[in-house]
Amino acid sequence: MTAALETSALGKRFRRGWAVRDCTLSIPEQAIVGLAGPNGAGKSTLLALAVALLAPTEGSITVLGRDPWREPEALEEIGYVAQDSPLYRSFTVGETLDYARRMNARWDATIATRSLPELPSRRRVSALSAGERARLALAVALGKRPRLLLLDEPFARLDPKAGREFLQMLMDGVAETGATVVVASHVVADLERIADHIVLLSDGRVRLEGHVEELLTSHRLLTGAGRPLGRIRGVEEIVRERHSGRQMTLLARVSTPVVDPTWSIDKIGLEELLLAYMAPERLPKRSTDEKRRLRWHG
Amino acid sequence: MAWVTWRQNRIQLLACGTVLMAIALLALATGPAIRDAFQQQQLATCLPPASRSGCEIIVRHFQSEHATLPLVARYLVFVPALIAVFVGAPLLARELEHGTYRLAWTQGVTRRRWLLSQTLLLVAATVVGALALSAIVMWWRLPFDRLEGRMSPNRFEIEGVVVPAYALFALALGVFSGALLKRTVPAMTAALAAFVAVRLAVANFLRPHYLPPERDTAVGLTPSAHAHDWMLSNRLVDAVGRQISASRENLAIEHAQNARIDAQEYLLSLGWRRAVSFQPADRFWTFQAIEAAIFVGLAAAIILVTLRLVQRTPA
Repeated sequence: MTAALETSALGKRFRRGWAVRDCTLSIPEQAIVGLAGPNGAGKSTLLALAVALLAPTEGSITVLGRDPWREPEALEEIGYVAQDSPLYRSFTVGETLDYARRMNARWDATIATRSLPELPSRRRVSALSAGERARLALAVALGKRPRLLLLDEPFARLDPKAGREFLQMLMDGVAETGATVVVASHVVADLERIADHIVLLSDGRVRLEGHVEELLTSHRLLTGAGRPLGRIRGVEEIVRERHSGRQMTLLARVSTPVVDPTWSIDKIGLEELLLAYMAPERLPKRSTDEKRRLRWHG
Repeated sequence: MAWVTWRQNRIQLLACGTVLMAIALLALATGPAIRDAFQQQQLATCLPPASRSGCEIIVRHFQSEHATLPLVARYLVFVPALIAVFVGAPLLARELEHGTYRLAWTQGVTRRRWLLSQTLLLVAATVVGALALSAIVMWWRLPFDRLEGRMSPNRFEIEGVVVPAYALFALALGVFSGALLKRTVPAMTAALAAFVAVRLAVANFLRPHYLPPERDTAVGLTPSAHAHDWMLSNRLVDAVGRQISASRENLAIEHAQNARIDAQEYLLSLGWRRAVSFQPADRFWTFQAIEAAIFVGLAAAIILVTLRLVQRTPA
């Protein structure tokens, strides 16, 4: 099975520094992936690399089996909605869909228009609400019958109601097209509602990648009295260690259920899990070698 | 793609069409009267070389009667450049400024095809518009051209095939600076500045040398024989051909006035003559072709560079 999106040691450097570095990941087809990470983690850069708005500085990126920079034809099968859903403000809704039709050989008008039943086609884009604009931009992307749909912070400007409508339209569209979806957002709660896979980016690197269910079952919170830590049966790795008074809380990656009466064991939510993996103590320290290399590049 | 190009540029294109229509209407409103006057005053019989007596007065009368409009028409030299800059600079700058390139460049139509078809359609519109403008001006200026010729810069630059060539160059500069500066107003300003600089440089430093200028030494002090030619230099020389400085000339005139002699006759009696170098009027189309080729060539080079820039450098 080919991956819908695959990167290998991908790096993108801007003048101010690396936005994505040493990024290797593989997104299977049909997955709905939440691309999580704080602002400035490299999420937008990664998506822009996937649609060849940017060219990689190092490494490679393959989208639906093709290098988007060398073979721009790959874009025919990719629906991309950039941050803030850019559309031509002077166009009407109808003209926007007409524009999309003429710009895409694979255009499917029924998918695009079905999802916008109440938007009058004469209305100007500049007169639309943020939610309507977001849905129109999504309709343009869905009308391509994409095999891969990339959405950059689609919920950022939407109120809860508009967010729900957008989500509904997205799920219907995905069901109809069978597209693989990558949604980038810094709000974990938004991703939790849709994603079955999570890719966590921080400082341009992949910190965590996996199936949401598996991630949640393989991590546990262990609370107990503070003590020097030895091996705990069933624990693969201690992700985070927190002390409060005499209490100590561990976030642990576990392989088998932990059976140890000295610890009370709890499940963990996705948001807390991702936060733990983003924490600064998890970031690899820069070696002196790397520092020198960075200076070398100016 | 034609619809897309039209939809995205229709305001500029309609504005250009309106300007062109207004110029055409003005030409139609004023042109026939000038032609009638030309006919009635039998100016055709005064055209060199055959000039009948009294022509000097007739021509001067005609010229003073119709002095303002040709002066106004000179400003048409800016029109194709302005139009092209207003159409060219926003093409990419607008997309980059408003972020809509992220929509336009991620559709099924590749970035290369998108830019190529937009540019080529605008090039076609510009060339057609500028040719129309040039044709209107040539029709309107015909009586004046027959009297004064069209070789000197302020006529040469608003007639013939250089008009579309300038417009094309301005369009290319506009598109290029839009891609480079990524903001509309700075792109327009930069394109206009670059356009004026290149145009002036070519007109002042290259055009006089497209072909070696011809020289003539006239015994009479008024070189009216070269009324249709483009004068490059006009100097007073002595009998052996050395140039006479302005201060010496003034001194001589003063001397003649003090002695109550006619200044002209006095200078002639000294053996002083006018030496002129000029580009003859019959080189008009040769020069037009050379200058048009220069600007079309520059425009093509700039468009190719822009294509590379947009295709290769990521946004």
